Amino acid sequence: MINPVVHISHLGLQYASTIILNQLDWQILQGEHWVIGGKSGSGKSALGKALAGLEKTSGHIQYFFNTSAPLPARALYVSNWYQFTNLEGDRNFYYQQRYNKQQRNDTLTVYAELMHYSKEEDLLFEEVEKYLGLFDFIDFRNTQLIELSSGEHKKLQLVKALWLKPQLLIIDEPYTGLDQASRKKLNQFLEELAQQGVHLVLITNDHDLPNCINRFAELHHGQLKPQSSQHDFSQDAVRSRKPLPYFLQEEVKGVTDTLVEMQHIRVRYGEKEVLKNINWTVRAGEKWLLQGHNGSGKSTLLSLINGDHPQAYANQIYLFGSKRGSGESIWEIKERLGIISPELHWYFDRTAKVWQAIASGLYDSIGLFRQLSYQDQQKVNQLLDFFELTPFKDRLLNTLPLGKQRLALLARTIIKNPPLLILDEPCQGLDDAQTTHFNAVVDELCSFGKTLIYVGHYETQLPHCLEHKIVLEKGEVKTIEKIAEPV
Amino acid sequence: MANYFNTLPLREKLNQLGVAEFMDSSEFADGVSALKGKKIVIVGCGAQGLNQGLNLRDSGLDVSYALRKEAIEQKRDSWKNATDNNFTVGTYEELIPTADLVSNLTPDKQHSSVIDAVMPLMKEGATLSYSHGFNIVEEGKQIRKDITVIMIAPKCPGSEVRAEYLRGFGVPTLIAVHPENDPQGKGLAEAKAYCVGTGGHKAGVLRSSFVAEVKSDLMGEQTILCGLLQTGSILSFDKMIEKGIEPGYASKLVQYGVEVITEALKQGGITAMMDRLSNIAKIKAFEVSEELKNIMRPLFQKHQDDIMSGEFSRTMMEDWANGDKNLLGWRAATGETAFEKTPAGDVKIGEQEYFDHAVFMVAYIKAGVELAFETMVEAGIKPESAYYESLHETPLIANTIARKKLFEMNRVISDTAEYGCYLFDHACKPLLANFMTTVDTDIIGKNFNEGKDLAVDNQQLIAVNEAIRTHPVEKVGAVLRKAMTAMKAIKTV
Repeated sequence: MINPVVHISHLGLQYASTIILNQLDWQILQGEHWVIGGKSGSGKSALGKALAGLEKTSGHIQYFFNTSAPLPARALYVSNWYQFTNLEGDRNFYYQQRYNKQQRNDTLTVYAELMHYSKEEDLLFEEVEKYLGLFDFIDFRNTQLIELSSGEHKKLQLVKALWLKPQLLIIDEPYTGLDQASRKKLNQFLEELAQQGVHLVLITNDHDLPNCINRFAELHHGQLKPQSSQHDFSQDAVRSRKPLPYFLQEEVKGVTDTLVEMQHIRVRYGEKEVLKNINWTVRAGEKWLLQGHNGSGKSTLLSLINGDHPQAYANQIYLFGSKRGSGESIWEIKERLGIISPELHWYFDRTAKVWQAIASGLYDSIGLFRQLSYQDQQKVNQLLDFFELTPFKDRLLNTLPLGKQRLALLARTIIKNPPLLILDEPCQGLDDAQTTHFNAVVDELCSFGKTLIYVGHYETQLPHCLEHKIVLEKGEVKTIEKIAEPV
Repeated sequence: MANYFNTLPLREKLNQLGVAEFMDSSEFADGVSALKGKKIVIVGCGAQGLNQGLNLRDSGLDVSYALRKEAIEQKRDSWKNATDNNFTVGTYEELIPTADLVSNLTPDKQHSSVIDAVMPLMKEGATLSYSHGFNIVEEGKQIRKDITVIMIAPKCPGSEVRAEYLRGFGVPTLIAVHPENDPQGKGLAEAKAYCVGTGGHKAGVLRSSFVAEVKSDLMGEQTILCGLLQTGSILSFDKMIEKGIEPGYASKLVQYGVEVITEALKQGGITAMMDRLSNIAKIKAFEVSEELKNIMRPLFQKHQDDIMSGEFSRTMMEDWANGDKNLLGWRAATGETAFEKTPAGDVKIGEQEYFDHAVFMVAYIKAGVELAFETMVEAGIKPESAYYESLHETPLIANTIARKKLFEMNRVISDTAEYGCYLFDHACKPLLANFMTTVDTDIIGKNFNEGKDLAVDNQQLIAVNEAIRTHPVEKVGAVLRKAMTAMKAIKTV
């Protein structure tokens, strides 16, 4: 008989009046490696946390760890979103803070963070080198945590988990925000870990999984339903096509021929060059794909366009026809573009309700500080209807499933019908069906003369309208080309 | 130089102390236009200097930094702050003569020497701005008569000024024009434009005077904001240790408790803070705070009197001249307190537990806020000014304690605040010595409600609620907070 690693019986969990886990029974046996999938909002993350003992649940969870094995006899849950703190343990950072340079070490360096972790968990520091190297993280040792991009934060979290090698490792959305090369490496590492006696539980709807995965289940009505492979997970219903609200079908007026013109762009932090000699022109109506590895400078490049980066003032940048630093305010720039990014999402107002979050797009503020006119209120309502978010309008944004949160943020970016849309990895963390849905909406929006800059990693999961492509590598333009076939 | 305030006749003293006009947002309709195209040169690039400059530039204004030659040559932090963010940096000689507006954002202590160096270089008819009026009011600095002197004082730390601006909001701000230096009558227009440039106009602006700002600011920071929080933290911790509460728990309860408790204060005033307690705990806290107010009132009055007479600034400036001997000695002593040296334990404390287990702290903060407010208003300061310098700033300071205890608080606040903080703390502890012998763990360290019958007398509860809710600080607070959050409930149809 094979012994269990974890035995769960009658597990129950409730958030307010919503039942998340309902008398759930589950056994993870020796040698089993699970993938948990299912629709968004079905409670997968809650199950992951509960499995690691991080939720107040009813029922029983029994662990049968091997106390004589060298691996730590414990369960570790890696959350689907990163968190970091400053030296004082404070998590109170603001959106785009990483671009404002200040001579105070507010956060630890990557090196110090890992050092601290090795002490806390009693790990050999030499062993982390391997993971850092394979994730291209060596250069980041002296980088402060706040300076990392969202993909790099994700990697750091994974590095720590791989390094610790707990007997039960639960990773929530392991592939979110990782580029293709990193995904591959991650899978190799996970296979190695499995051989060494780590039991894996991955929460994902992704199809490219480590070979060691041998059990599949999806969460449905608070219980686990076994499946034979990742292809059998049920997906969110395909959305019914609706006409775009009329105000978004109007051609954007008063747009200059060239929206963005960058000449010989350079951004450096001390000795570190983040962008080198970038030349790029975006003309009205063009649809651009921006690609590059994690940390190649994509988000920094975009922050120069949306007015968030102080070094824009020292560069030759023309936005909507006028030179940056010629007396315009950042609010005049933001008025003409809509942006969505993992960082914006991460720093978004935790107290914002869906309705207010969408409305705040009219003023480009995080938080809503003004009364809306009747006409603007109608716009919010039309967008809620279009995105099928009306039933959620009074809910806190961050209590919605991730896919719905992204749609609400998309609604926020388009409510003022801006000439330029910047979508920085808008589908990060979404499954295939949600991504298809999201991109279909983007295509529809862009058919009315909008200009688009879209950041996405996978060729298979992009809007069809993209026609130009710019690829960054280590802060430089690697290629600029036309996309021959529609993606 | 003579103390400016003391040179004024009583009539004018009262007149200037009483400037406090809460400005309507329509007064900022001109945006930044009064400063558009003008050259703004900021002197100093610390937290306020850098972050105000970043905001002003992002609002379309022309900003550069003048630093001392040594700071540039030695590439000090101020130089790095400015150059890393791509600002033009130059010496006083290079930049000041070109400036239409010079913003002095150096520490208080340097103001006199900075102004001595800068003033001869300023062009005829330019404007000089401050974020704090100490130099003008207490040191009595005389500014050339052709120069306009204004003040724009964001009531938040520099990092907050930036963070709030970037999310499309701002921080509450005081603005003022020095009546002795407004030769062209442009002072108010430029102060308003500057305030729009930093985003302050979105969060409520109080038109104040140099005198009102200084006399209320000094009072607030010495008593409720820094002094009282320091004393309260140390007394609470020592009491818990004396009564056998686990030190790690005691340390954490105090360090994070002040932040959690004052967060309620921030959102809904003393009423909201007290309402977090059970009825019996609220009545207890009310009684304790009344007693504390009786004991501490003379000390608050002494601080206000010394500030008004100039005695406080005179003795502090003596210490400046003496190489900060007192300040440095007191700072070192604070680093040696048991509270400072006991790290917060690895125990989980629930949000509500911070209230239920620290009724004394709630009572103490209530007493401090009300006393500071009452004492200021009695001395001729208007309730609006008194509110900003007492209740409004308390959560901001508490936040620094949560980060790294008293050391962090005293590092973040100005040297002036720190000096006053120690004066208060040293006088307050002996004053409360007798009272503290009556305090037990039911009001600090353990759950006050535990094992008690939660029943109360209706009449008594009604009377206590009434007293809390009708205090003048609650009345003015309700109005000002509304402007600050500006988050009026919006109907979602």
